[in-house]
Amino acid sequence: MATQFHVVVIGGGSTGAALVHDLTLRGLKVTLVERGELTSGTAGRHHGLLHSGGRYAVNDQESAIECIEENQILRKIAPGSFEENDGLFVAITDEDVAYLDKFLAGCEACHIPTRVLTAEQVKRLEPHINPQVKLGVQVPDATMDCWRLPMRFFATAKRNGADIRPYTEVIGMLRTAGIVTGVRVRSHVTGKEYDIKADIVVNATGAWAEKVSEMAGARVPVKPTPGVMVAVRGRWCNMVINRLNKPSDGDIIVPQRGLSVIGTTSWTVEDPDRLGLPEDHVRLMFEKGGELIPAVRHAPMRAAWSAARPLIAEGGAQEGRALPRTFKCFDHKVRDVVEGLVTISGGKGTTMRAMAEATANVVCDKLGIDAPCRTKEVVLLPYWAYYQ
Amino acid sequence: MTNNGFFGPKKTITLKVLRYKPGAIDPPRYDTFRVEANAVTTVLDALEEIKATQDSSLLYRHSCHPASCGTCGMRVNGREQLGCVARLLEQGSDVVVVEPLASAPLIADLVVDMTPFAERFAPAGMRLVRESEFNPEAETPVGVETFTRYEDCIECNICLSACPVANTNPAFIGPAGLAAAYRALVTGERSPAEVFAYVDHDDGVWRCHSAMECSAVCPSNVDPGHKIMALRRELVTYKVKRFFKRG
Amino acid sequence: MAVPIQHKSPAARAVQAWFNPLKRSAGFLAFVLMRITGIGLVVYLLIHMVVIGNLLRGPAGWDSLIQTMKSPWVLALDVVLIAGILIHMLNGLRVTIIGLGFGTQSHKGIFWTLMAVAVLLLAYSAWLVFTK
Repeated sequence: MATQFHVVVIGGGSTGAALVHDLTLRGLKVTLVERGELTSGTAGRHHGLLHSGGRYAVNDQESAIECIEENQILRKIAPGSFEENDGLFVAITDEDVAYLDKFLAGCEACHIPTRVLTAEQVKRLEPHINPQVKLGVQVPDATMDCWRLPMRFFATAKRNGADIRPYTEVIGMLRTAGIVTGVRVRSHVTGKEYDIKADIVVNATGAWAEKVSEMAGARVPVKPTPGVMVAVRGRWCNMVINRLNKPSDGDIIVPQRGLSVIGTTSWTVEDPDRLGLPEDHVRLMFEKGGELIPAVRHAPMRAAWSAARPLIAEGGAQEGRALPRTFKCFDHKVRDVVEGLVTISGGKGTTMRAMAEATANVVCDKLGIDAPCRTKEVVLLPYWAYYQ
Repeated sequence: MTNNGFFGPKKTITLKVLRYKPGAIDPPRYDTFRVEANAVTTVLDALEEIKATQDSSLLYRHSCHPASCGTCGMRVNGREQLGCVARLLEQGSDVVVVEPLASAPLIADLVVDMTPFAERFAPAGMRLVRESEFNPEAETPVGVETFTRYEDCIECNICLSACPVANTNPAFIGPAGLAAAYRALVTGERSPAEVFAYVDHDDGVWRCHSAMECSAVCPSNVDPGHKIMALRRELVTYKVKRFFKRG
Repeated sequence: MAVPIQHKSPAARAVQAWFNPLKRSAGFLAFVLMRITGIGLVVYLLIHMVVIGNLLRGPAGWDSLIQTMKSPWVLALDVVLIAGILIHMLNGLRVTIIGLGFGTQSHKGIFWTLMAVAVLLLAYSAWLVFTK
């Protein structure tokens, strides 16, 4: 029986959320610990795009395929959770137009549905768009709520018996003869320290993965790669507006509630707790966002912030946008001869469920459990069920 | 608020943060921290800085940063605000006092228990997504029936904290729940009978004493005070009509 | 020492939640005034009944009562009473108007207008009390 096994998941972000849901459905006993509030790391603060995969269709097709598949699955298992207005890739310059064929070919290869629109059609759909627009391509992007979507996974997992402990920080790994047998944690509510035993510990801490795996003497090649986002007041578009070109700074505006979120930039940091907020990046968002929708240049700023992507730099010396956006699950027994610890990192909000599935597969394999993944079908509870 | 990314000069601000950990920091006390702030530094930025460099045990709720998730409601200099958009230099003093929201049980430091809020709010039955009123001149794309957007309310609990009634009557549905019930009524998500069963009682729409502070502190343009009154009007109209039909 | 409102007694909680208009807006001030004048008027009614009870002592009691009532201190208290009545009455009008769903978005204007009316009526009443 699966229930005799106990898995501890470290990290209450979107991956952790989907993972406790998946493992609980497969019948395992799961405890999740998160040092702060749930989704208080990267998960909560991305720009809220449910990727169609279009952004990666040319450069990173593995990610693009993951995105479009998960895009469709998430809409099915979390109905009513998205602003389903689709997205537009718009060409402003002739250079953008020249990118069209590559883009369409990439989308076709990844099975991302597209519809090419004339400049006139684009202007009718999005009245605030840069009037220089040359053409647009409609793709099934959508807007997600970065807090409420992961919370639906947490709510469902909790209802199914998962033990979710926010405000609980891992301060060490329990090890017996080189095997990880649990975690030592400190409750930030009471200040008390205690042990949680586990058959397997999963490190789902995203950009913090390296810090956590080091506690067990294991290594993860994760590079925290922050980006700056700026939210302005006013909803200047209803569809997600992307720049039809290679991924670059300020190539997207995601409408959300009464705001428009402009993203993003890319640089590398050592410590994911100290991202900072470079002033030039913030101004760049106004400038580049203004190339897509001129009105955002003068829209009142609501917020500006940084979020750390957990990019995986395996092998080469690549950095930033050259790194793939796909995810990877590491069994540290294979990598570092550390048994009992699995790390999942990389990926993105849109692929949270797939990341969880891959990780749960590894966990079940290691424990010798034959339980199929059910997260593609099980419809999630409303997010507020977490508090009931 | 029209700051388009200009940080301006830095200034040192002192934060007095309420600390409470049951059994450990008990009774509660204020801890003092100093941080450097510029024109765009928010209270949340300051708390994150403190947690990373000065005191890793500091607890607060937060997730999204652009006032969209509603987790970082707190009392800043005695007034409810979202930490993520409350700019430090706009608080009117060099010493800024940060306290947890009132009208919700205190868990630790700035963290309150959202369970009582969710229990009162959820039955209102408001959908998360509604039709978008922005850019009404826009055509909708093929395959999209109508442009949609998330509802305004981000369930941050700020209105209940500022409401004099909710602070002393824990059974009161509160501004957020009543406003949500009004939305559910207007969108047709709930029938009038369902909505009125939820709000038409002593701890529902009649408990409001029109202080309108909910609307004053709401960070998300919900204007709950207005919606509570509109709900009363709908309810009175409904009752009068039903009375005459019966007669 | 800091005492979060969650840890206060119900009475202390009510005092903080009901009577502290610092950092609050006009609607909250209206709420505070409504509570204070409401409680004040109830207390006045009780005192009034006790004082009127003097009538049971016959004409002598009545005459001495009238003498006391004519002292400027008591007349000043009368003005306070009228202020309470005016604030409570006109605020009640505001609550009624917006409670019916009218002017909810201009409730602050309604409040200040009615309070201006209260001040004018109070000035007139005070003039009547002290001169007539």
